[in-house]
Amino acid sequence: MLTAIVFLPLLAGVIVLLAPERSARWIAAIFTGGVFLLSLWLYFGLLGGSFGDVAHPQWYEHLDWINLQVGTTTFRVDYALGVDGLSILMLILNALLSFLAVIGSWNIQPRQKLYMALLLFLETGVAGVFASFDLFLFIFFWEVELIPMFLLIGIWGGARREYAAWKFLLYTLIGSVFTLGGIFILYFQAGGKSANFQYLSVAGPQITGTIPFFGAALSLPVVIFILICVAFAVKLPMWPVHTWLPDAHTEAPTAVSVLLAGILLKMGAYGLIRIGFGFLPQGLEPIAAWLGIIGAISVLWGAGASMVQKDMKRMIAYSSVSHMGYISLGVAAAAVATSAGNLDFRQAALTGAALQMVTHGAITGMLFFCVGVLYDRAHTREIDIFGGIGKVMPFLMLLYSFACFTSLGLPGGGGFVAEYLTFTGSYATLPVQTIFAVFGVVLTAGYLLWMLRRSFYGALNVKWAWLTDATLRERAILVSLAVVILLIGIFPGPFVDVMTPSLQHILSTAQLVAAR
Amino acid sequence: MTSQIDAAQIWLLSPELSVVLLSFLVLGLDLVTRRKTLVWAVAFFGLLVPLALTLSLTFDWFGPRPTTGFFGMLTTDSYALFFNYLFLVIGFSVVLVSFQYVEKFLRATPGEYYAIILMSLAGMMLMGGTGELITIYIALELTSIPLYILAGLARRDGRSAEAAIKYVLLGAMSSAILLYGMALLYGATGTTDLTEIAKTVTTLGSGNLMVLAADIFIFAGFGFKISAVPFHMWAPDIYEGAPTPATLFFSVGSKAAGFAALVRVFVFGGLFAHSDVYLWVVLAIVAALTMTLGNIVALVQTNIKRMMAYSSIGQAGYLLLGLAAIAIHDEPVGTTAVLVFLVVFVVTNIGAFTGIIALADATGKENIRDFDGFGRRSPWIAAGMAFCLLALAGIPPMAGFLSKLFIFFTAWGQGSALTFLVILGLINSTISIVYYANVVWRMYVIEPEKKERIPVPGSVSLTMALAVIGIFALTIVIGILMTQAAGGAGSLIQVLGH
Repeated sequence: MLTAIVFLPLLAGVIVLLAPERSARWIAAIFTGGVFLLSLWLYFGLLGGSFGDVAHPQWYEHLDWINLQVGTTTFRVDYALGVDGLSILMLILNALLSFLAVIGSWNIQPRQKLYMALLLFLETGVAGVFASFDLFLFIFFWEVELIPMFLLIGIWGGARREYAAWKFLLYTLIGSVFTLGGIFILYFQAGGKSANFQYLSVAGPQITGTIPFFGAALSLPVVIFILICVAFAVKLPMWPVHTWLPDAHTEAPTAVSVLLAGILLKMGAYGLIRIGFGFLPQGLEPIAAWLGIIGAISVLWGAGASMVQKDMKRMIAYSSVSHMGYISLGVAAAAVATSAGNLDFRQAALTGAALQMVTHGAITGMLFFCVGVLYDRAHTREIDIFGGIGKVMPFLMLLYSFACFTSLGLPGGGGFVAEYLTFTGSYATLPVQTIFAVFGVVLTAGYLLWMLRRSFYGALNVKWAWLTDATLRERAILVSLAVVILLIGIFPGPFVDVMTPSLQHILSTAQLVAAR
Repeated sequence: MTSQIDAAQIWLLSPELSVVLLSFLVLGLDLVTRRKTLVWAVAFFGLLVPLALTLSLTFDWFGPRPTTGFFGMLTTDSYALFFNYLFLVIGFSVVLVSFQYVEKFLRATPGEYYAIILMSLAGMMLMGGTGELITIYIALELTSIPLYILAGLARRDGRSAEAAIKYVLLGAMSSAILLYGMALLYGATGTTDLTEIAKTVTTLGSGNLMVLAADIFIFAGFGFKISAVPFHMWAPDIYEGAPTPATLFFSVGSKAAGFAALVRVFVFGGLFAHSDVYLWVVLAIVAALTMTLGNIVALVQTNIKRMMAYSSIGQAGYLLLGLAAIAIHDEPVGTTAVLVFLVVFVVTNIGAFTGIIALADATGKENIRDFDGFGRRSPWIAAGMAFCLLALAGIPPMAGFLSKLFIFFTAWGQGSALTFLVILGLINSTISIVYYANVVWRMYVIEPEKKERIPVPGSVSLTMALAVIGIFALTIVIGILMTQAAGGAGSLIQVLGH
């Protein structure tokens, strides 16, 4: 089942390459749609029961792949796929956004066939990251996404696509080097027997010790945590390694920006929560306050940079930096000074961070689609040259405004739930960082509303009177995302319940470690 | 050890013997027929005979057999059989992919070309299958001398002649150094038999200077074959000058043979077990230099064959890292890692070169620039080549990632000594992705000057398809392959009495 979700897109990609040019988009749409239905089936199949945690994954699939035990060294990689509460929502979101991305690039030119195939390969890589339950398998899938994305930006990107694609590639690669090194240390320190998540979630938190570093003794778990999380920090992206993101997002074609912001950034967040916090809580705890500071800086830096952007898409890209800062803050707040108790607040902060992964994926996806609709017609994204175009594009204005309002955390949208949970939780453990970060919400409101006012509201700039409103296909995409956002905003309960066991497991592990 | 030569011993030698006979057959056939396809077909399908004979040895079809023959000169253990298969794969693919190129670019009659390749192939197979210094030297010369001719086979091309001369001179020098090392080893131990050496060398005490000098000379001698820095200078010039299918043969065959013999001498001869204190330092330094220089210089190449030369120098660096790990702790897992890496390297390199050959077949061009828009002009070959290049770079989902991971993993497991080297290796793989991705970028993103399709002969497409399927298969069965390789390495360990 999980194998199907992960590898069907790969199969579809190969079929697309073999099939004639004209049928490429239909095949891609059918397969991504099918995978989306499969992932929903996964969800409804578990509804009612528990969604499990890292130690009790539901829908677990396991095969021995590489298991070589000679002398003192064991090299073991399992083909282990599983879902628990944390990953299932991301799997569904990935399937949904990939499907919408195919629909959203229905008329992409040139080389539609290659484009669709690369989108499908990308979906496989990302689904694999969220579904793998073995650390080596995880990093294996982690790198799969790299080349399709590199080519997607490189071939179909905007004017500065060459720069953006290479920057994306190099940033990601350099991050991976540290992570792979960290994974080696983690594997050997955790006993060197298995890299299975179930094993590591028990063995990882038991790592102790120090390593000498120019005379100082550094805590070993902290060093491993930092090494492993470099790639996650780049992907998330955390300030100060976020600079690839505005370029990549701005230059990429619309649907690819949606996938970048909606899903690929969440790989970083997922890694941070699942692997960083889950397996090395004792490595995160001493530096959690710093992570909180970096989170707050990301929030403010991203928001401040958004304020001054002239390009609509670049503004949304920076807003992603800002919103992903909330995730860092939430994780940090859940991990800091674990022995102090406050379990409810920690739970709230972590839930907020995890929920933010989903809501930001949907909201930013929607924002990028909106900009895409506008750009397809006007061929520019400069905020200031529009004016009052809401008069000619009322439907787009409605949905764009909706997306902006939920993005800035208006109650009723999913963004509000996630941010509210994060802030209530994090104020209890990291008050100073939270106070600073809250100003991010104000800034967000500032730049989004200002942008809306300058482009959509006010008197119509007659130069743009010829613009037409969103087509049925575009409306369908936007409305379906709006429904998801509203659903999370109005009934957050089911979504939170799904994640709770996983997050509780992580927190209780951290609690046990702190008590030790 | 039996004292006379009987049928069983001939059976042990039969795969190599049949390759040599096939080589003569092809050469003779060339005299009586003008049909090039026939010559090619004999060379290609004739390779099934040694394959069948190797299979018969593997599964003991003709009853139980001795593992050594010819007074210990031939050692047909699972390690040797493992390399027999590897070299046969190389032989099949080189012959298959050469068909069009030989027709178009080489004045030489095809018989000569295939005969030379087969002759060299026999030498390579022997290099994995000997347990004795003199035989290793003879096998090395049997491998090398045909390669010198091969490098100069493009007679109209000045670069080819230059490559051949360079290759002969440097090759002769490396042979001399190797012989010197072997002579020293013989002087120290009084025997040329590796099993005996392994026994004697332990009595000499750690830090015996004569043995150490022998180690270094032997390593330097093989260092030329595997193009380890600082013995790598020949590689780029010769890769560039030689006919492209021959370059493929150099890069995979010569390298695999060098490592086959290197592991054989150092592990089988007990040299690692003996002087582990010094030797791993040397290996580690050479490994660090090799991978760093290879990968960094590859970044600035404009000729794709030169780039591949430096890339394969970089790959040799990772292999040496695995060797350094074996030098610290002589464990089968280390040898396994090296062997698996070698297999994956061979298959991916075959795929990458097949793409280069496809372009050269059609246009005669071989600059990286000429790959602009290759993805449109020849979608299938380009896809396969991109796949293989990315596998070389170690990007999943290809086996290249796993084999590299495995080497790093083994080295990391050897304690803190090699940690630094593993980190350097990780940095190097990152660097390598840049130049591999650059080719992929040119193939897919840059618009070509000419738009017309590149015709690709069926033999080239078939090789590419097999290489890609091979990589996929390797990815999935790598677990099985590792036990296979462990069997090869394990037999070495058994002989050493660990």
